[in-house]
Amino acid sequence: MRTIWIIAGAAFKESVRDRVPYTMVVFAVLMMAASYLISELTAGQDLKIIKDLGLAAMSVFGLVIAVFIGIGLVSKEVERKSVFGLLTKPVTRAQFILGKYLGLVTTLAVNLSVMTVAYYGVLFYMNGVATEAMRAGWPVPATDPRLLVAVVLIMGELAVVTAIALMFSTFSSPLLSAMLTLGLWVSGHFNSDLRQFEQVVDQPAVAWIARGLYYVLPNLAPFNVKAEVVYGMPVSASHVGFTLLYALIYIAALLVAAVAIFRRRDFK
Amino acid sequence: MSAAIETEGLTKDFSVGFWRPRPYRALDHLTLDVAAGEVFGFLGPNGAGKSTTLKLLMQLLYPTSGEARILGRPAGDAAVRQRVGFLAENPYYYDHLTAEELLAYFARVFGFRGTDVGTRVARVLDEVGIGKERRLRLRRFSKGMTQRVGLAQALLNNPEVLFLDEPMSGLDPLGRRHVRDLILGLRAKGCTVFFSSHILSDAETLCSRVGVLVQGKLVASGPLSEILAFELKGWELVVGCGPQLHAELATFARTVTPLSDGHVLLHLAPDAEPDRVVGELTRRGAHIVSINPVRETLEDYFVQVVGATAGRDTRGAGA
Amino acid sequence: MSLSLSSAPSQRPSSRGLAIAVAGLLVASIGVQVVRDRGWQPYVPATPVLWFQSGNFLKRASLGFESLVADVYWIRAVVYYGSMRRVVDSQRDFTLLDPLLTFVTTLDPKFRVAYRFGAIFLTEAYPDGPGRPDLAIALLQRGIAANPAAWEYFHDIGFVYYWWLQDYKAAAGWFAKGAQLPDAPEWLQPLAATTLAQGGDRQSSRQLWRQLGDSDIEWLKSTAKHRLTQLDAMDMVDELNRAVQRFTLREGRAPRDFPEVIARERLRGWPLDSTGVPFEYDAATNRLDVGPKSALWPLPWPREPGRTTP
Repeated sequence: MRTIWIIAGAAFKESVRDRVPYTMVVFAVLMMAASYLISELTAGQDLKIIKDLGLAAMSVFGLVIAVFIGIGLVSKEVERKSVFGLLTKPVTRAQFILGKYLGLVTTLAVNLSVMTVAYYGVLFYMNGVATEAMRAGWPVPATDPRLLVAVVLIMGELAVVTAIALMFSTFSSPLLSAMLTLGLWVSGHFNSDLRQFEQVVDQPAVAWIARGLYYVLPNLAPFNVKAEVVYGMPVSASHVGFTLLYALIYIAALLVAAVAIFRRRDFK
Repeated sequence: MSAAIETEGLTKDFSVGFWRPRPYRALDHLTLDVAAGEVFGFLGPNGAGKSTTLKLLMQLLYPTSGEARILGRPAGDAAVRQRVGFLAENPYYYDHLTAEELLAYFARVFGFRGTDVGTRVARVLDEVGIGKERRLRLRRFSKGMTQRVGLAQALLNNPEVLFLDEPMSGLDPLGRRHVRDLILGLRAKGCTVFFSSHILSDAETLCSRVGVLVQGKLVASGPLSEILAFELKGWELVVGCGPQLHAELATFARTVTPLSDGHVLLHLAPDAEPDRVVGELTRRGAHIVSINPVRETLEDYFVQVVGATAGRDTRGAGA
Repeated sequence: MSLSLSSAPSQRPSSRGLAIAVAGLLVASIGVQVVRDRGWQPYVPATPVLWFQSGNFLKRASLGFESLVADVYWIRAVVYYGSMRRVVDSQRDFTLLDPLLTFVTTLDPKFRVAYRFGAIFLTEAYPDGPGRPDLAIALLQRGIAANPAAWEYFHDIGFVYYWWLQDYKAAAGWFAKGAQLPDAPEWLQPLAATTLAQGGDRQSSRQLWRQLGDSDIEWLKSTAKHRLTQLDAMDMVDELNRAVQRFTLREGRAPRDFPEVIARERLRGWPLDSTGVPFEYDAATNRLDVGPKSALWPLPWPREPGRTTP
């Protein structure tokens, strides 16, 4: 267990030096610039737009980091043969994979936390400069703590995407891994269409296939509660709980698969 | 006493070719053992399968058949690697780290904690001769420096068994001398050293036993003294003399070769008595620069064995 | 899989145990999803907001995958339409249908089915659809702009004018224009003529629906069959109403109820429509109509030959 954390720490440090912190700076600047520009426009709608923009940016930046570091986590080391360094030490291949995963997930968590702080900073600012009348007009308070629910689910989604990228990284090239991971991310968000598909299609065979795919492929749409929290609609605790549980189980499946693949490899 | 390293029938086939993969046998039923405290030289031409053997022992590759054991444990046992060091051929490490950071990372993996990490890292860096460069990022290191870092990380845990894949590659003569002395020091401490090389002079100095691998097969193994016939093949004399003596030199020696600095190189037959020849030449006014016995070298042996193997194979192929 | 370090053999490890673990975890994840989905539907805000106001922006954003994105939005349009029809009447809202169809056809201007079905969806009267023949015509005209040689769109516009707007002159005009295209079928020109001469005629209606029923798309086929059955029922209704009229003329008064007519006109029992549901007699208007419980209800107009208004 300790070994896994040592490897995770190294992976974290590596991604920090990989210019990941710059994305956080870019995010913070983007948020502040956007809030200034938009506040010059009509009052009232700008809060919703800022909230949407912030959550979307967190999602996108996080996705970029998860995919582009995730795909290289293993394949880069194997290609450059730096993997020999660790695997000739008292380290099992399973520890290697888990350590890399934890390191990148930690990076994402730190990244997301900093972005959330900047996000709330901007929202506090908007709350401060708004007049009493404007504040009364907002359906949901600016610094609504329920936004954190969306952030938590974004983190869950990113953890799943990272596991997908890592799993592909254990056996395929970075380019192919990137395409497959992004492809699964896209299909993961259209997954809900698959579910509704079967309500409209007549042939039961097609409906069954659609349903099967809906359940087996990573289902990322339930992680997306941005619309709900921005409109102030309730998100039930059981939904959050079950979705995070799903994330945990699915990630476990992906990591076990990654370990199984990595364990069988020859390193020439 | 049980062997430090043993293999039994260790075989590795690779699939070569995409459309109709054919098996390529990189290692063919290798059976050898290395006793504790030995320095074992694993020799052979390029592509013989030496690196493959080392990787099989470190379980970076999985064998097609056969077994390998290190310190009595199967090669796949990750715990035994706590007592083992490994240096890969042309090693590559995380180049965004400094030498110190890399070694500290590996030291922590080995189980060092707290201030022990720094102490141990500093010791090992001193041992391999890396001074203030240790604070530089590895991407700034030359090949020779990287090789030293590789050695350093192999020695971090004070290993009982050390695997070195072409440890001298990329080193200048000073560096090679350094590594040679290091290995001799380890031998003195009782460490088992298994190293592969295609440079034979290293083996002559360092090894107690050698094994020769050609095209995946072990063609010979044993102590150097058994492999090489230490019988005398002749004598080499370098003399300086006046031109009038040149003509007579042929009577003493089998061959006479003038050297570029004016001296002459004489080859004497093994049964010629060097004392008598020296006495004769000195009486005639020549002066002796050097006198050396000529024995069969490892290189001679090598060429002979490799040539025989190749000959046997081509004969077999033609039949 | 060993997180612990000792006693691993030197042969390549078998993956069977791990593969079983992966399968088991996937099954568990499916279980969690099933339980969660019982309480969750994707959230559709009360005032639906489309992120893309312009189909052209979406087209550029698709980065070369326009027809794939068009397919996805087409599926969404179909699902949207279908699911709206399942919703309680008062909450039906088809406002997103036209924007969705616009996206689809902007992304893939040759998406034939989107134009034709889209037009059909748009024309269906509320509550079965938004009841917007004008949007349907606009959609089809965009189809013509992108595919000038496609006779089907001309035919479809003609149909909208004929069936939903009862503008037979315009319908005939469109049929005629379509008939002049190189690939047009032979029956289009006579259809134009018939429509002009006898607009609202059940014969030409039948012809139109028969043509549509020839398509190999199931949905269209069954709709056409349904319409043809309705037209047959309308014939039956006309005949039965003529029987009522004969009764009125002969007896000098309107029948009080239909059994009177059955008795006097010597009909064979209570008349049933082709789905087996009895026709109903409305004593107030003295007219017969298809029973409200019948699958054929309500009958479309025109109800009588030659009538140009319902």
